[in-house]
Amino acid sequence: MTTEDRGSNIAGEKPDVEETVETDEATVTETAELERTLGLVGGLAIGIGTMIGAGIFVFPGLAGAEVGTAATASFAVGGVVALLVALPTSELATAMPKSGGGYYFISRGLGTLAGTIVGLSLWLGLVFATAFYLVGLGFYALDALAEVGIQVGGSPELIVSVIAVLAGIGFTVLNVTGTENAAKLQNGIVALLLSMLAAFLGFGLLEVFGVVDADTPAGEAQDDWGLVPIMSVAALVFTSYLGFAQVATVAGEMKQPGRNLPLAMIGSVLIVTVMYVLTIYIATNVFDRAALEAAGETAMVEIGRELLGTPGALVIIVGGLLATMSSANASILSTSRAIYGVSKDALLPEWAARINLKYGTPHVALGMAGGPVIVLAATRQVALLAEVASFLHLIMYGLICVALIAIRRDEPEWYDPDFRVPGGPVIPALGALASFGLIAFMETLSIAIGVAVIFATAGWYFYYAGDVNLKGAL
Amino acid sequence: MTRVLVPVAILKGEMVSAGLVDLLATVDVTVLGYHVLPEQTPPDQARAQFEDRATGALDDLTGQFHEAGGDADHRLVFTHDRRQSIDRIADETDSAAYAITGATGEVDRLLVSLTGEVDTAQITAFVEEVIGDRDIGVTLFAAGEKDDGRLETAAETLSAAGIDTATKWVAGNPFDSLIDAVADHDGIIMGEQAPSLASLLFGEEADRVAAASVGPVIVVRSAEKDKA
Repeated sequence: MTTEDRGSNIAGEKPDVEETVETDEATVTETAELERTLGLVGGLAIGIGTMIGAGIFVFPGLAGAEVGTAATASFAVGGVVALLVALPTSELATAMPKSGGGYYFISRGLGTLAGTIVGLSLWLGLVFATAFYLVGLGFYALDALAEVGIQVGGSPELIVSVIAVLAGIGFTVLNVTGTENAAKLQNGIVALLLSMLAAFLGFGLLEVFGVVDADTPAGEAQDDWGLVPIMSVAALVFTSYLGFAQVATVAGEMKQPGRNLPLAMIGSVLIVTVMYVLTIYIATNVFDRAALEAAGETAMVEIGRELLGTPGALVIIVGGLLATMSSANASILSTSRAIYGVSKDALLPEWAARINLKYGTPHVALGMAGGPVIVLAATRQVALLAEVASFLHLIMYGLICVALIAIRRDEPEWYDPDFRVPGGPVIPALGALASFGLIAFMETLSIAIGVAVIFATAGWYFYYAGDVNLKGAL
Repeated sequence: MTRVLVPVAILKGEMVSAGLVDLLATVDVTVLGYHVLPEQTPPDQARAQFEDRATGALDDLTGQFHEAGGDADHRLVFTHDRRQSIDRIADETDSAAYAITGATGEVDRLLVSLTGEVDTAQITAFVEEVIGDRDIGVTLFAAGEKDDGRLETAAETLSAAGIDTATKWVAGNPFDSLIDAVADHDGIIMGEQAPSLASLLFGEEADRVAAASVGPVIVVRSAEKDKA
């Protein structure tokens, strides 16, 4: 396909489309090989590590304050939507096991305009998500300071912003200069996090069902089981599920992609859904809505204290710090990969994907991730950041489902996935409906910002890369 | 014909010394140009940027092996894991050994280590093939509690092939005494060791020997690993 003209962007750069042979162990191009080094555990760690971050530690207070125990249903809805998208994403990823993930599938399946919109909004969506994680980190760090007895002068809000911004700068610098195995560290953090959460959930469930009694106040949250409130909370907390598709962004580096990609994506969605639903169930049974509202972003700390005393609070604080850090770090990495994906296809200038030979890291792309993150993190708008991030991801998720339907309806010769979603177009159709439908339940301001981003990216396409043709360019 | 893999960190400017090129003139060589990337960089991204530069350097290197008289080709790999790439390419090219480059001039004498759980017959056969009918001497070396006669057996085989052979048994720490014995030799040939606690903590034995001995180290791959 190298002979076919794929057009060029306004600067005259052409998409870098090279014919490759994919094996279980490497991607082989004409002159080079790209080793696949990630196993199933590594893939699960990326999925779980990105997802189980800020969401579970920040949202119980906010979501429980809205609808009480009904928030368990909101988290379950989020999990179902994620699963409906994870299945089609898995099929596409095994058919196109390349770095770039959702952007790649959509640009190949639906063409350059949809590809540009998704590619650029994925970048910005990840920027919003990272900022959200960093603000969560700031709140937990503030609690940690208070717990060890350090009184901070000035306004607490300001401290949160400062911590979030400093952490944003720190992670960006770390990713540019760090050549040690970040992935191994990530695996360790995820394992530690999972075991801490499992212990917390185990004890919490025993207490909720009255097997042990930690003297939590009687009386549950006044629950609001209405469909609309549940769905609008689901739209808010869906940020907790952003991350499973990030597994697809490292598809090119996954060993045995036909087996490991679906397992890692679907497995991580199932694992975190169970964790979330249980956590929120415990949280809303320990505290009522008023108490959850008062505790706010770090309500989980108070729940830990209620259940297990000061050690419980400390466990949650440490868990919250680890989780928000791992989410933020994983997202900055994904952002740089998203930028690389679009730059390779000449939708962004080529220099955006440059690597420095000293560290071997993509410093420009990491800067384009970290820079806007820092600005957004300073705003401290937890709910707004989360919803805009979800909005931009949901657009991509919906379009992934549409891309699958489109590709299947007129199956090209090269399309040969190892994993096929059963049931014909039913699951992808539901996935698309659910993804776009969830957007309708968001706050007006979030939708407005999201739509503005979409129009801006579409405008960029017509200005910069209107002549580039990517449909079916493998 | 026997093939030896020569992994080279091609974009870090690693070169192959003239002595090693000459030593390997009797066997087929695959030069493996590799570039290790941190986790945050997709290998494909590095390929797009560095492929041409790396291929140019690999062509030059392969040319050196051709000039020395051997048959040589090359592969280029972008990876997160050097070890995994070396193992995979060695399997795919059916290489009997891989070389760790090091500085050396003309090779007059090789130190061959038979310490530990290695297939001495396999190593001996490899040494015989590499040296061929050239005037290169061999010191067979092993360290351990008691001499089980493995050196004598190997020495007989090599002497029969017309190679000037000496033996050296040392009852000391295998690693330190091997390094002590390196003086007056221009390179080391050793067997591949099974992973151990020490290799997990300090890195692979062959890499440590190479670091301590300065000269090139050729590691004969164990036959069992070939099957896997």
